[in-house]
Amino acid sequence: MASTHHNVSAELAIQPGRFVPDPRDLRQPLSVRVRPYLIIGPALLLTVGILYPFGLAVYYSLTNYTLSNPNYSFVGFLNYKMLLTDPEFYHSAKVTLAYAFSATAVETILGLGVALLLNRETPLARVLRTVMIFPLMIAPVIGTLIWKLMMQPSVGILNYLLGFIGLSHFEWAAAPQTALFSVVLVDVWIYTPFISLLLLAGLQSMPKEPFESARVDGGSAWFTFKNLTLPMLAPFLIIAVIFRLIDSLKMFDVIYAMTGGGPGQTLMNFPLQAYYYGILYMNLSYGLTYMIILWAIVYLISQILVVYWGKAQQRAAGL
Amino acid sequence: MRKRRVVSWIVLALALMLVLACLTTASAAEKFNWKKYSGTKIRLLLNKHPYTEALLGNLKTFENLTGIKVEYDIFPEQNYFDKVTIDLSSGSGSYDVFMTGAYQVWQYAPPGWMEPLEPYINDPSMTNPDYDWEDIYPNLRKSDQWNLKPGNPLGSGHQWAIPWGFEANALMYRVDMFKKYGIAVPESLPALYATAKKLNNIDGSGIAGIVVRGSKNWATIHPGFMTQYASYGARDFDDKLNAVMNSPKAVEMTDLWVKMVREAGPKAWTTYTWYQAGSDFGAGKAAMLFDADILGYFQNVPGASACSGKIGWAPGPKGPEGKLVTNMWIWSLAMSAKSKNKGAAWYFMQWATGKEHLTKAAVDFAMVDPVRKSIWENPKFIAKMKENYHFYETFQAIIDNCSILFTPQPKFFETTTEWAATLHDIYYGEDAKKALDKLVAKINRMMTQAGIRKP
Amino acid sequence: MHGAGRCAVGMVDHGADGGINMESSARNRFIQSLLTVIMLIYFAFALFPIVWMVLISLKSQPELFTTKFVFKPTIESYKAITIGLKYLKGTGSFRPDFPRFFLNSIIISTASVAISVIVGVPAAYALARFKFPGKENLAFTFLSFRFAPELSVIIPLSILYRRFGLYDTYVGIIWVYQLITLPLLIWVLRGYFEDISTEIEQAAMTDGYTYWEVFWKILLPLIRPGLAASALLAFVFAWNNFIFAMILGGGKVQTVTVAALSFLASEQAHYNQMAAASLISAVPQIILALIIQKSLVRGLTFGAVKG
Repeated sequence: MASTHHNVSAELAIQPGRFVPDPRDLRQPLSVRVRPYLIIGPALLLTVGILYPFGLAVYYSLTNYTLSNPNYSFVGFLNYKMLLTDPEFYHSAKVTLAYAFSATAVETILGLGVALLLNRETPLARVLRTVMIFPLMIAPVIGTLIWKLMMQPSVGILNYLLGFIGLSHFEWAAAPQTALFSVVLVDVWIYTPFISLLLLAGLQSMPKEPFESARVDGGSAWFTFKNLTLPMLAPFLIIAVIFRLIDSLKMFDVIYAMTGGGPGQTLMNFPLQAYYYGILYMNLSYGLTYMIILWAIVYLISQILVVYWGKAQQRAAGL
Repeated sequence: MRKRRVVSWIVLALALMLVLACLTTASAAEKFNWKKYSGTKIRLLLNKHPYTEALLGNLKTFENLTGIKVEYDIFPEQNYFDKVTIDLSSGSGSYDVFMTGAYQVWQYAPPGWMEPLEPYINDPSMTNPDYDWEDIYPNLRKSDQWNLKPGNPLGSGHQWAIPWGFEANALMYRVDMFKKYGIAVPESLPALYATAKKLNNIDGSGIAGIVVRGSKNWATIHPGFMTQYASYGARDFDDKLNAVMNSPKAVEMTDLWVKMVREAGPKAWTTYTWYQAGSDFGAGKAAMLFDADILGYFQNVPGASACSGKIGWAPGPKGPEGKLVTNMWIWSLAMSAKSKNKGAAWYFMQWATGKEHLTKAAVDFAMVDPVRKSIWENPKFIAKMKENYHFYETFQAIIDNCSILFTPQPKFFETTTEWAATLHDIYYGEDAKKALDKLVAKINRMMTQAGIRKP
Repeated sequence: MHGAGRCAVGMVDHGADGGINMESSARNRFIQSLLTVIMLIYFAFALFPIVWMVLISLKSQPELFTTKFVFKPTIESYKAITIGLKYLKGTGSFRPDFPRFFLNSIIISTASVAISVIVGVPAAYALARFKFPGKENLAFTFLSFRFAPELSVIIPLSILYRRFGLYDTYVGIIWVYQLITLPLLIWVLRGYFEDISTEIEQAAMTDGYTYWEVFWKILLPLIRPGLAASALLAFVFAWNNFIFAMILGGGKVQTVTVAALSFLASEQAHYNQMAAASLISAVPQIILALIIQKSLVRGLTFGAVKG
C-alpha cells in the first residue's frame, strides 16, 4: 500500500506550490515534518491508553491467574497448549467464523441492495432512509430479548404467524439445527442498516458525470453497475465489511441474550467461551487466552481487508 | 529519646481506648447506640428484585434511625453477578454491602473478598439486643456458613452472609384445571410425569403439561431439577469430590426428567429461563410449574397475569423412598472485606435483616419468603399469604427439609452450566447414561486441574 | 489518479437517480420490480419487530404474553418507567431512575461523539493527505483499537479505573467509548478525504483562503455525508453499548441501555416496560438521524465548494 501512495505523491510532487507539503521531505522545516503526528496526536493519546490493559490481558494469558487467586505465576504458553488440545476450541472456532461470515455476507448483500434502492429522490425513499436505521437504534441486548420473546413458541408472535403454514412448533434458537440461523437472523436485523447507511453515504458522494456519459453511451444498467457503481463504491463497501466482520467475530450480546451459548455447546463462540471461563468460572487467564486468539484472527482478517481497501481506493480514484 | 516518647504516647492512647471500649460495651447492654456511625456514607450494590424494592421503600427509616447516608446502585439481574465478581476481584471496596446468593459464597469467600460476620453478630456493642439472630431459620443461617474446604458441608466456619429473603422450590399448578379434570397433585416423579403428560395439550388447548427452566445456565439445575434429583437420593459429588451424576439413581431420575420435559414441557425448552417459565405459566400456557415458590406468587398477584388467582402450591413430589428434600435459593447480604466503613455497613445489614424491616417488607411490600420464623407467625402476614391457595401450608410443609443440596465447592458454576448443557444433549436425543458419563469425565478433569480433586 | 472525473465541477445536482441507470427495456423493468419486492420483504422484516415493540409497550401485564394485534392499549408502561407505578402489592419502582439514566445516555453519547469528531476529523485528514513514515501502521493501530474484544480488556480496565478513580464517572465512560466511536470515524472519513482532489484545495489556496478556511469551508462540506453517517453510527453505537457501561459505570452514570434491561425483573418480565424504555431511548437517535438526513443527501455540491 505504501507504494500506492508513493505514486500519488510522485505525481503531485511535480506541481509547484502544492497545498500539502511532504513531511518526508527532509528539506522541509521540522514544523512541517512533525505536522501529521501533531494532528493525529490527540486521537492517539485518547485511545492509546487501551494498549496497557490489552498488554496486561496478553500477559495474564501467559500466567495461571484466576480471579480468586491473584498470586499467579508465569506459565508460558501452557494455556495456549491446553486450548489447542481441547476439542471445544475447534468447535468454537467453527461457530465464531460461521457466525461472522454468514452474518456479514447476508448483511453486505442486503445492505447494498437497500442502499441502491434508497439512493433516489422519491418520497418513499426519503422516508425509508430514516426508517431504515431503526433496528440499529435498539440496543442489541434489548433487540435480541424482544426477538426471543417473539420466537417463544408458547406466546411468541412469530410462531403464531408460522402456525398459519403449519410451523407453530418451530424452535428457533432452541434447536441445534436452527440455532445459528436464528441468531444470524437477529444480527442481520440489527446490522444490515449499518452497511446500508455507510453505502448510501458513499453513493451520495459519487460524481454524476461518469454515469451520465455511460447513459449517453447506452450502457446497460448492469454494465453501469458492474463497471462504475461497484468499483466506485468498493472502498466504502470494504470499510463497512471490515467493521461488520470485526464486530461479528466479537459478537457476544446477541448470542448471550438469546441462548447463553446453548443448546448444549451449539453456539459457544470465542467471546462466550471467554465470558464463561474468564468471568463466570473466574479462570481469567484461560478465558483471556480465547480472547487473545480471537484478537489474532481479527487482526489477520483486517490486515487482508485493509490491503484490499487500499487497492479498491486506488481503483476508484482511477475512474 | 524521641522514639521512646512516641512509644509511651501510643501505649497511653491504647490504654485509654481500652477503657473507653469497656465503657461503651457496658453502656451498650443498656441502650444500643444506633447513632454511632451518624454522618458516614455507605454504598450498596443491589440486584433489581422485589426484595430490593421493599428495601428502597423503607430506606428512609434506616437513614433517620442511624444518620448513615445510603447510596445504592441497582443492576439488572441478567448480569448482576458479573458486576459483583468483577467489582470484588478488582479489590477496590467501591461497595460496602452487596446482595449475594449462597452459591456465590463458594466463589467469593475463598479469595477473602467477604468479611466474616459472626464477630459482629456476637459483639453486643455492634449488634442491637433486639436483633434475635436465632429467629432466622437455622437451615438458612447454616447455608451462608462455610469453612472454605471444598466438599465440606455448610454450617461450620465463618458466617459469610446474612440470609435476607429466600425462595423454596415447590410445585405450582392451576387449581382450576386440576379441579376441572379431577386431577390429584402428583406425589412422585413418575406421577408428575404422568400428570404432565395427561395435561399436555389437554382438549387441544395447546398448553404444556409442565414448565421448568432449561437454558444453558446453572439456574436450570438448582430449582425443580435439583430438588427431585436429591430426593431420588442422587448426589452431585461423592465424599472425595468425584462427580457422580452418572450413578444409577442419577441416570434414572435425569432420564425421566428430560423425558417429561420433552413430552410434556414447553417447546424451545433449552432457552427457558426464569422469565420464560414464569410468563408461560402466568399466561396460561402451562398447567404446572416446578420452580421457586415466589415465581408463581408473582404471577398470582391480582392484575399481574392472565392466571392470577388461579394458582395453587404443593410440595415437590417425593423420591422413590418417600422422602422429599427441597433445594433453595437465598438472597443474602454480605459485606465486602475491602469496605472502609465496616461498622456502618454492619449497622445497615443488621437493620435490613432485622425483625422490624423484614416484617414491614413482608407485610407491606413483596418480601414473599422472609427468613425469620417470627414473621411466618405474624397474623397479618399469614392472612396475606393465605390468599394464595396452599402457599402457606406448602411452605410450612417443606421449610424443615429445605437446604442447599449441592456440594459446596468453588467450581459450582462450571459444574452446573455443563450439567445444563448435558441435559440439552439428552433432550435432543443423546442417551442419558452416555451423556452423563461424558459430563462426569469433563467435570472430574476440570476439578483435578483446579487442584480441588485428587487425580 | 485522483482524476478529473471526481472534480468538483462534475458533481452538481447530485444523487437524483442514483447509481443504477434503470430505464428502457422490459428486462430492466422486471429486474427493478423484483428488487423492489425483495426490498419490501426486507423492510417488512426490519420493521416488524419495531411495530411489535410499539404494540407490546402499550399492552398491560396480563395481556403482554398474547399474540393479539387488537387490544385495549394502555400507557401504563410509559408511566411506570417515567413517574413510577406500584405494580404488585408494594412493588414497582419507588424512584423511577429512568429519566436520570436517559440524561446520562445523552451526556455520555453526545460527549463521546463530539470528542471523537474533534480529534478524529483532523486525524483522518492527516492520514489521508500527508505522507509520513509509519502512516499505515498508525492507521491500522486506530483500527485495531476496535479489535480488542471488550471482554479481554474489561477486567484490567476495571482494576485501573478503580485505582484511578475513573469508576462510575462521566470522564471514565466517555473515555472508554472512544474505542467504539473513534476508529469508525477515522476510517470512514479517511476514505472521504482521499477522494477529494488536492486540486480543490490548491485552487482555494490560490484564491487566498487560509489553511484553516480551506479545511473549514471547503473540505468539511465535502466530507459531510461521510461525517454525518459515521457520526450517527458512532452515536448509535455509543448509546447502545452495554458491557462497558455495565461494568465501568455505577449508579451515577448508568445509561438507559443498562437500565432498560432491568425491566426484566424477578417479579415479572416487564417486556412492555422494556420495550417502552427502548423506544423512548431511540427518540434522540431518530432526531439525530433526521437532522443528519439532509447532510447525508445533499452530499457534494458545487455550492459547497464555492463556500
